Amino acid sequence: MIVFEHVGKRYGGRFDALAALSFHIQRGEMVFLTGHSGAGKSSLLRLIMRLERPSRGRVLVAGHDIDTLHATQIPFYRRQIGVVFQDHQLLFDRSVFHNVALPLEIQGMEPRESARRVRAALDKVGLLHRERALPIELSGGEQQRVGIARAVVNKPALLLADEPTGNLDPQLSADIMALFEDFNRIGTTVMIASHDLALIARLRHRTLRLSDGRLAADQEAS
Amino acid sequence: MSREASQERGARKQRTTNSSRWRGWVRHHRAMSLDSALRLVRTPLGSLFTMLAIAIALVLPAGLWLMLDGARLLDAELDASATATVYLASEVDDEEARRIQQALEAHAQVNASRLITASQGMEEFQRSLGLEDLLSQLPENPLPATIVLTPVDPEPSAMRQLADQLSTVTGVDEVRLDLAWLDRLRKLAELGRRATLGLGVLFGLGVLLVVGNTIRLAVASRRQEIEVVTLIGATHAFVRRPFLYSGAWYGFGGGLLALALLVLGGDWLATPISDLAASYGANYALPKLGWIGSATLLSCSTILGWLGAWLAVSQHLASIYPR
Repeated sequence: MIVFEHVGKRYGGRFDALAALSFHIQRGEMVFLTGHSGAGKSSLLRLIMRLERPSRGRVLVAGHDIDTLHATQIPFYRRQIGVVFQDHQLLFDRSVFHNVALPLEIQGMEPRESARRVRAALDKVGLLHRERALPIELSGGEQQRVGIARAVVNKPALLLADEPTGNLDPQLSADIMALFEDFNRIGTTVMIASHDLALIARLRHRTLRLSDGRLAADQEAS
Repeated sequence: MSREASQERGARKQRTTNSSRWRGWVRHHRAMSLDSALRLVRTPLGSLFTMLAIAIALVLPAGLWLMLDGARLLDAELDASATATVYLASEVDDEEARRIQQALEAHAQVNASRLITASQGMEEFQRSLGLEDLLSQLPENPLPATIVLTPVDPEPSAMRQLADQLSTVTGVDEVRLDLAWLDRLRKLAELGRRATLGLGVLFGLGVLLVVGNTIRLAVASRRQEIEVVTLIGATHAFVRRPFLYSGAWYGFGGGLLALALLVLGGDWLATPISDLAASYGANYALPKLGWIGSATLLSCSTILGWLGAWLAVSQHLASIYPR
């Protein structure tokens, strides 16, 4: 699903955020990405989302070298990826329902079909009863679950998460991770950047550890 | 399943996705035009100021254009009054003068003519100057008979050609054209037209900047929203759409205000203008903009607003997208 071939990313002509990075993630895998802050986790995710382009090497997603995508194709490429952000990036001027509906609205989906999918996604994260609420009225854990609902409402083949449990207590973090495992179980490829080592160790999925932009360890699932 | 059946099913599926994509596109346009209009209504004072700035920028060139349009009507009136004066030789008597008049009228370029015999000319001269006593003391009438011609074509070049031809007729002493003032007026009108065009372009740019600046602020205040929808796969067109509608609404509102200002200003200036024109003996009134003129002004202002928004949003989008 995701192939990195000797990928390097250099900022400002001298700082190497990533260097000679190579790995291969199969379709349907669930993978953690760890490393201290500044190790290059976010850069790696930004490369997959085609927010940035590699300075060296190739990034292949679903068999395509995404560097060759034309600017007009990039939005359609991004629609196939669900993304969960640490600060969840919800829009505070609209309800939970409309936040989750946003990806479908962008695709121009019929409102009735869209509403059905939004309610299904909200049901999955256990927030169906809050669909009319504004994000500001929700707790941190609930806001993150709305962010997850928005990422999966489109049924993406690939789900990326950047520190999805960064601001949550251990119990909420475990709940969020269980949600990701559920999506993985129905075939979604999941990649989660996190520095919550204790939680990662307990979940026993494949783990890529980055250090100074290099792959320090690739620990298979146990 | 046969191959044909599966192909047919594929085609039908393609058709439904295309038509649903089209419906989605129309739906988003409708939603965004309404949403952007509501956003303007929600901040009435700010919207009004932006529209007023647009209206003021539009009123000046539009008003000048109206005045020139009126001057063009005046021009046509002046053309009708363009004449050539043919002075006959002093030895030509009245009968001979009448014969020459008939000969001149036969010319294809002459529309009408009026003969002023030497004695008639003397009478008019005395009347207009009030010098009866002085002139009656002259031993003989020094004035020649004259024929005033109205040409078919009042263009200066055509009239000059006519004058050259007529001056060769026997008995004609000289043909005079009073073209200098007509020429000067034409040049003045041309200057006015160019100035209006130049001002129109400058003030149009002004409208672009006003709308661009307003939209730039709107974009900045919705930056997070733009970034989020871009991250989850919105196209440039999708991101631009609400702002383009806002710009178009600003332009449309500004155009409406400009129309109102033009009507009010026209009424306010109508009396002094017609008084002034009457004092010159001309029949001049500021023309009304009319339906076509109003529609043109409104569409121009709407397009300018749309364009200003487009420039502002595009500039911002370029800063979001990675190279």
